[in-house]
Amino acid sequence: MALQPFRLARPKTLAEARALREENDEASFLSGGHTLLPTMKQGLSRPPVLIDLTRIADLRFIKDDGDTVTIGATTLHEMVGSSQVVRGKIPALAGLAGSIGDRHVRNRGTIGGSLANNDPAADYPSAALGLGATVITDRRELIADDYFVHLYETALEPGEIVTRIRFPVPDIAAYAKFRHPASRYSIAAVFISRTADAVRVAVTGAGLRGVFRATEYEAALSKNFHADALEGLSIDSSTMLSDLAATPEYRAHLVHVMAKRAMNNLGTAQSYK
Amino acid sequence: MTVVSMTVNGTKVTRDVPDETLLALFLREHLELTGTHIGCDTTQCGCCVVNLDGRSVKSCTVLALHADGSEVTTIEGLAKDGLLSPMQQSFHDMHALQCGYCTPGMVMAATNLVETYKGELTEEVVREEMEGNLCRCTGYHNIVKAILAVAHGEVTPHDKVEA
Amino acid sequence: MTQAKLDERILKAVGKPLRRKEDLRLLTGKGRFSDDFSLPGQVWVAMVRSPHPHAKINSIDKSAALAMPGVLAVYTGADCIADGMKPIPHSPVPSTQYDIKLTGRAGTKVFIGAHDMLPPDKARHVGEAVAMVVAETRAQAYAAAEAVDVDYEVLPWVSDSREALKPDAAKLYDEMQDNVLVDGHYGDHENTEKAFARAANIVSLQTHIGRVTGVPLEPRAALAFYDPADGRYTLYAGSGGAVKQKSEIAGVLDVEPKKVRIIALDIGGNFGTRNRAFVEFGLVCYASKKLGRPVKFRAERTESFLTDYQGRDLFVDISLALDKDGKFLAVKTSNLSNVGSRCVSLSPLSKGSGLITGSYTIPYATLHARAVYTNTMPTQAYRSSGRPEVTFAIERLVDKAARELGFDRLELRRRNIVAPEQMPYTNATGMNYDSGEYEANMSRVLALADWAGVEERRKEARTRGKILGVGFSNYVESSIGSPKERADLIVHKDTVELVIGTQPAGQGHETSFAQVTADLLGLPFESVNVTLGDTDIVSAGGGTHSGRSMRHASAVIALASGDLIAKGEKLAAHIFGVPVDKVAFEDGVFGVPDRNIFLTWFDLAARSNGPDIPAELRGDLKIRRDNEMHTPVFPNGACLCEIEIDIDTGALDIVRYSTVDDVGRCINPLIVHGQTHGGIAQGVGQAMWEDFHIDPGSGVPTAGSFMDYGMPRFDNMPSFKTRIVEVLSPTNPFGVKAGGEGGTTPALAVIMSAIEDGLKEFMPFKIELPVTSLKVWTIIQEGMKRNKKEARA
Repeated sequence: MALQPFRLARPKTLAEARALREENDEASFLSGGHTLLPTMKQGLSRPPVLIDLTRIADLRFIKDDGDTVTIGATTLHEMVGSSQVVRGKIPALAGLAGSIGDRHVRNRGTIGGSLANNDPAADYPSAALGLGATVITDRRELIADDYFVHLYETALEPGEIVTRIRFPVPDIAAYAKFRHPASRYSIAAVFISRTADAVRVAVTGAGLRGVFRATEYEAALSKNFHADALEGLSIDSSTMLSDLAATPEYRAHLVHVMAKRAMNNLGTAQSYK
Repeated sequence: MTVVSMTVNGTKVTRDVPDETLLALFLREHLELTGTHIGCDTTQCGCCVVNLDGRSVKSCTVLALHADGSEVTTIEGLAKDGLLSPMQQSFHDMHALQCGYCTPGMVMAATNLVETYKGELTEEVVREEMEGNLCRCTGYHNIVKAILAVAHGEVTPHDKVEA
Repeated sequence: MTQAKLDERILKAVGKPLRRKEDLRLLTGKGRFSDDFSLPGQVWVAMVRSPHPHAKINSIDKSAALAMPGVLAVYTGADCIADGMKPIPHSPVPSTQYDIKLTGRAGTKVFIGAHDMLPPDKARHVGEAVAMVVAETRAQAYAAAEAVDVDYEVLPWVSDSREALKPDAAKLYDEMQDNVLVDGHYGDHENTEKAFARAANIVSLQTHIGRVTGVPLEPRAALAFYDPADGRYTLYAGSGGAVKQKSEIAGVLDVEPKKVRIIALDIGGNFGTRNRAFVEFGLVCYASKKLGRPVKFRAERTESFLTDYQGRDLFVDISLALDKDGKFLAVKTSNLSNVGSRCVSLSPLSKGSGLITGSYTIPYATLHARAVYTNTMPTQAYRSSGRPEVTFAIERLVDKAARELGFDRLELRRRNIVAPEQMPYTNATGMNYDSGEYEANMSRVLALADWAGVEERRKEARTRGKILGVGFSNYVESSIGSPKERADLIVHKDTVELVIGTQPAGQGHETSFAQVTADLLGLPFESVNVTLGDTDIVSAGGGTHSGRSMRHASAVIALASGDLIAKGEKLAAHIFGVPVDKVAFEDGVFGVPDRNIFLTWFDLAARSNGPDIPAELRGDLKIRRDNEMHTPVFPNGACLCEIEIDIDTGALDIVRYSTVDDVGRCINPLIVHGQTHGGIAQGVGQAMWEDFHIDPGSGVPTAGSFMDYGMPRFDNMPSFKTRIVEVLSPTNPFGVKAGGEGGTTPALAVIMSAIEDGLKEFMPFKIELPVTSLKVWTIIQEGMKRNKKEARA
């Protein structure tokens, strides 16, 4: 299917973007376009109007707030990956951003676009959930635990626009992922963080319902924050996705291995290999 | 239809194009710069990589309108003073191309990679950072060599671009 | 043909790693690929493709599509037939005297189902074009294609070749009793059976070499223009041979070949997938005539995945008889090829069949060769057609024999390998191996790969939670190909032009052919230019496949050069006023010994039209020479690779890969090494990731994009160690074998060998290509459980 005609709207403000969306409820927001445009090229989605969010001022930034790092929704993966602030405060997040797609994709793809799409194999959802981030929209704040609902489904209301994401700075964090041989998306990836009050273990690429927290793993690591603490634990394969590259059993096993590897990546920007 | 203006290979261009025009097709069909190729529909192959405001991008997944007001460099704009660019020269010297279809995207990506990393590139980093460009002919071996030679300052352009 | 001995002293460019002439345009964005051409007023087509593997077409309603914006026409199979379009004139049965003679049952003729542009009766695979929409823009055409309403009657289907053999399998062709189009027995049945009867050991293997697709990075494209003034069609479309394409398209259009001009200048990869005409190429010609507009097609990558001609898909059931010392006595094999829904080429089955004994002395062999139709995209000769499949079978079987019978796998090979003093060696299927140092190649690759250090590396890998698997494979392959080639040599003002009918897709013919021509004519490499790919200039030639081009080109260029030199000598003799036997040609100069007079090629060309030249010599200085050469050559080599297996995840990492390839004379080592590198990646790709998987429940392919078809990439390939060996072939003037496919031929085998070596502690297990991390992990898990249980017991 060749890309079908649409109208591109290029608002300069959030208010304009909202108004455009209200005019046409079939309109889609467009950020980096690296998910939406390929989907449209394949004829899987045909919005008549695209509302480009990347020309709206003040949505592309990385801000060090001390205990938190706030990232604007249209900030590129490459910017997060190479940011001195992120590399210094949450190296695992920088590593995760630097592992998305390939360097050209990272030069277009945005954090807001990724979180709004909530692809079950995307990387950012695991960081948002694994760090207990807050997704801030044009109308409210949503904590990550409430934000991710199901595959490609979030708590965003129709027309709601993600504007920035606020990440708490953890004591330490890590990411490890196992990639699909063709698409290079994650088959299983685990983001682990420890803050003063909690250990969080978020899993992406594997779950039937999208990104999720591995609570048993969190409990074990809360007692003993070491890879050894994971011995004997396992992931229920009945909650795992299945495809040609990975059966539910294999995915469950990979999640476990990635959790262990994440514990060996602590404090680094390492994500695979 | 929307009017779009950008600077392509140093020349300002303005065209009235349908909104859905992809940058790759804008270059190929509106500007007749057919060096930028299209090899897939899923932003995987990298045949369409161009430089957009200093970043390498897959132009089949960028709208022409996204590039409004931008500086674009394509494979046609790399050679300087009638000589191949260092990366083009290195690809030629190392036999880093066969059918030539992936080559424009490959050279654009490699050029940007070396600019990003300066001289610090290793084979491992090249292999990791170039994974978004597919080649079916070379097995990548000579491309890696060609990129490292440029990164290590071993290439001086000397071949003239064909008239 | 007779072989004039080549005077090695003339070789100045040949053998040198000269940089390619074609690079400058390709590096600067000035390539001329099919989709780079546009014509004023052009319109676009899109295909309506079957979503079903097998369905009767009851009717096609065009009305909704015709009502859509920009739509100019919708054509169906019935329209094409009404307008006199013919099926693609495939000639799938290999027919040189060196090919195995494939037949239907009991020697009957092979049934070839008609490959219409658009099928009038039924769709036989998912993705088959059943109608075509023409519209002003490409987007309009694709949108309207979705609006064409095809009334399908879904039929039972079969995609697996073993299923297709069953009596109750869905049948593709009413004209046939079943799906079996080839069924023949070959070889020395009596002696093979005797050898098996007296054998100390028999080792068997059943394996499937799966289906892959070629994935040239240029999606296929075509632009056609019909000129009513002269009734000629011009088609810009890349292929493996413009001359062959011309005759196929003329056949489809049912016009004389001279009414078709094919322009195919730069081809963005071929690997065999483009060596047969695609239906869209005929259809754009058809639509252009119907509508009076240039008509263009460009495939989406998804269309390429579904409908590029595909490769491999062979089941092999092979047994080897050995005596107690491990000497091979005989081999029996049953090979079943899946040709897909049309029979486009039986070359993979035929080529492989001749090589079932591999690099080994095996006195007797029998072969049961079968091919079946299935509801899948047709298969074609894909990079190294047939040889990787049978190499995989014999090498995997030899590894298995070594393991099961307690032989060292290298020693078992050395004990049976064809020795240089046996050359030329006629194998049990009648193939005449021309030359080679097979055992020396083994030693060479072991040295290149640091075999001595393997055990140290195994230990070191284990400390990192990795198992090092080490694979080994020998190979021999045959290069036959279309037997005819033509060369024109034309001396211009200050250059010589070679016009030839091969069609490179990256193999560097403009460079290597110029090297050969330059040396033969005593000219600098820079002054020779090669012209290819426009049938108004290139009149004949066999195209590029089966590693034939360098060998056929160098042979015909040698003959043409001889003719041109003879013509030059006559001209020079006339100009010098001496008898022709007084003229000497050396280093590109015609002179008379002992007299200080001489003429260069360009002097001669400047004077050859002069009024002083006698009529029989007067005219442009050029020559045309045809050559026919049937004798095959047998490139060969050995290959070693090391793979690290991650015990926790089953992930695989190729850490070392070394090959030794005897290519005969190497005209340009830069190019030949490059061919080897790419060939390795293509073979490794199939062995590790590539799989054109068809869902067994629905018959629908699951691989439609790079999102699900795993490819060799920068970060999953190692750097290679490749070494070229030049044991000249006695069959052609330059001693060329071939260099394009040796990388691929042993790659499937060597990867499997490394996996089976690495996982030997978890034996027994079953594994087929591709060796995915899931499969490897499963073997490790089950093996560990079993080993634990056994340890307890």
